[in-house]
Amino acid sequence: MTLQRTRFRRLRDVVFYFVVAGLSANFILLIVLLLVADLMFTSPAEFVAALKKPEIQSAFRLTMTSCSIAAVLSLWIATPLGYALARYRFPGRAVIDTIVDIPIVLPPLVLGLSLLILFHQPFPFSQWLFPGSAWRLENWLQESLGFQVTFRWPAVILAQFAVACAFAVRTMRVTFDQIDPRAEDVARTLGCTRGQAFVYVALPQAWRGMIAAGTIAWARALGEFGPILVFAGSTRFRTEVLSTTVFLELSVGQLDAAVAVSLLMVAMAIIVLVTLRWIGAGLST
Amino acid sequence: MSKTAFAMLGSVALVAVLVWLMVADGASNRNAPASASTSADPASSASDGLHIYCAASNQAVLEPIRHAYEQLTGIAISVQYGPSQTLLAQSELTGRGDLYLPADESYLATASERGLVAEILPLATMQAGLVVKRGNPKGIDDLQALLADDVRLVQANPDAAAVGKITRELLTQAGTWEAVAAATTAFRGTVTEVTNDVQVGAADAGIVYDAVLHPYPDLEFVEIEALREATSKVSLGVLQSSQEPAKSLHFARFVAARDQGLKVYAEHGFRVAAGDPWAEVPELSIFAGSMLRPAIEETIVAFEEREGVLVSRVYNGCGILVAQMQAGQQPDAYFACDVEFMNQVQDIFPDPVDVSQNELVILVPKGNPRKIATLADLRQPDLRVGIGHEKQCAMGWITQNVFRESGMQRELMSNVTVQTPTGDMLVNQLRTGSLDAAVVYLSNAAGSAEHFDAVQIQGIPCSTATQPWAVAKGSHYPQLASRLFEMLISSDSQAIFTAEGFRWKKGL
Repeated sequence: MTLQRTRFRRLRDVVFYFVVAGLSANFILLIVLLLVADLMFTSPAEFVAALKKPEIQSAFRLTMTSCSIAAVLSLWIATPLGYALARYRFPGRAVIDTIVDIPIVLPPLVLGLSLLILFHQPFPFSQWLFPGSAWRLENWLQESLGFQVTFRWPAVILAQFAVACAFAVRTMRVTFDQIDPRAEDVARTLGCTRGQAFVYVALPQAWRGMIAAGTIAWARALGEFGPILVFAGSTRFRTEVLSTTVFLELSVGQLDAAVAVSLLMVAMAIIVLVTLRWIGAGLST
Repeated sequence: MSKTAFAMLGSVALVAVLVWLMVADGASNRNAPASASTSADPASSASDGLHIYCAASNQAVLEPIRHAYEQLTGIAISVQYGPSQTLLAQSELTGRGDLYLPADESYLATASERGLVAEILPLATMQAGLVVKRGNPKGIDDLQALLADDVRLVQANPDAAAVGKITRELLTQAGTWEAVAAATTAFRGTVTEVTNDVQVGAADAGIVYDAVLHPYPDLEFVEIEALREATSKVSLGVLQSSQEPAKSLHFARFVAARDQGLKVYAEHGFRVAAGDPWAEVPELSIFAGSMLRPAIEETIVAFEEREGVLVSRVYNGCGILVAQMQAGQQPDAYFACDVEFMNQVQDIFPDPVDVSQNELVILVPKGNPRKIATLADLRQPDLRVGIGHEKQCAMGWITQNVFRESGMQRELMSNVTVQTPTGDMLVNQLRTGSLDAAVVYLSNAAGSAEHFDAVQIQGIPCSTATQPWAVAKGSHYPQLASRLFEMLISSDSQAIFTAEGFRWKKGL
């Protein structure tokens, strides 16, 4: 009787495994088929030819550096902001929580347009504060600091950062939500300040979350397209990143090159994500 | 040092290194075009290049043109590609950029309405029609075939893309739009998306421009009767925001030159416009009646400065100019004193446009010592009258007509002591006291109100001359001449004409 029950239970487990595997396989299969379809559409020769183009090499370098900068800056902002949202109850917390999500829900092109308006139209409230003046952020940066943002590499990073940081904040908030604050409380009873408790107790426990946040921010920055196109433009050798390269190649009917660059982006993403996880695993041990 | 502090410092160092790499990379890229230059042209020493907003669909054509121009001049061209509407918004919001090359001319019309574009140079036209797989496996060769159940038709959105808009307009007129729209599987954002759908097999046919098919060897263009009238122009606009219009127009002329940029456009399947030949500094020649000199000289100087070109102008009596042209001299454009003197060279200038009018008056010394109030008063004994030469200038020809119409030609001519080829000469003689009165244009007296009084000639309609402008059919630089004309009819130029005593012709 017991043997029969055990066999029946095993059978039900096998069914469960099949159901889980079957449902999961749908998504995995879809992604794999997408990549296979892309690989079948292009050829190694076309892939190599695309990679040899100087403009694509330049876009590759800009993509790597800008995504990395955007990801690191996102972490610097997301870690304290996520911590504050997770640990403290303060007036306006719900409003800040909502504002953080805006870049996630805002249509990408509108985000780019908003950045363009912010930098080139009279600065919000400047006309109220200084009647008759039309203070513009871009003009001030250029005239006072000799630093141009729009249609230059800082615009690429800013456009990537605006979206990537929102995802990083969301990840860091969940990370700190899941870390028991008791250890920080204990540290404070032993004489630590709030800052020391944050740096020496909370942060070491949040490494995995930080790696996840950095990974998500980097990946989001890599795929960012709309805001970059509007705010930074897609000027060859200056602001063209790989996502805009795909758009440009599609626009002129170069489907092979577009697919080749897309596959390059997939390869880059895999290498960087695996490396980040490997580093994260090393740091958390 | 703890892991946390190490990671924090490390991240700051990483950002610093990455920024340095990016700046260094940007600097090396900026230097690339200049170092590739082989030109010894002084223009190559220009510190800043030009910035162009270019529709992504034009990228394949513009890149070789840009490369050739950089090689020739050493001037760096940075091109910002994107959707035409997005580029327009960027240009408007930032107030930056030198040139705008959208997918079709409708965007330039919008830009002009918003005051963003100064000059427009025509480049090419595109014909709308069907795109199918090479060999046309489904035999789609007319509008009716598109309505079949087994044909998946894709179109560009009529509200977003020019080809969609023009298709809807034409088919609505023909009463077939509803059926075609109902048979359309999907409406796409751009004409390139439509073409890509047919290329990857997601559609059997699409409505596109012929010129977009150049990079698609597996596709075929099918011209159909229903869309024969559906054409769009591709033009290049020089932006008002350009800080260096001469440099911008230099590049624009290169793109629009029939032996430079237009050659590349033709290679890419466009039907190119009749552009000017390329010249580093083209020289335009115009003939103009002397009376027009004060009204147009300032505008021509401004045109030379803005375009970076030379305009050699010959001012003289129109009869003399006509004789020179009939003897073989041929300017690029002619601005005549009166329609009659344009008619005499109609074979050279087939499409004149009336620009301004000028009134014939009797000019007398200030205070009018001989009390001349009408044409009849010019018959006073011992009066010394000067008029234009009827063979050498329009003014003289019109004066004779006026005398004839008045019925006093013989009496009036008996007092005429001098006939000159230009009104300016008569004004000078009147000033020196060698004449008591002169029949000249009102514009001849402009600016001399302190020395002369002008007496109107009443009741004779032919006392008004109309000045037409025309570009020679054999002009070496017809596009450049047309742009000069655009400047001559601008509001600034109109103000000068009015100040010089001309009336502006209605309709311009």
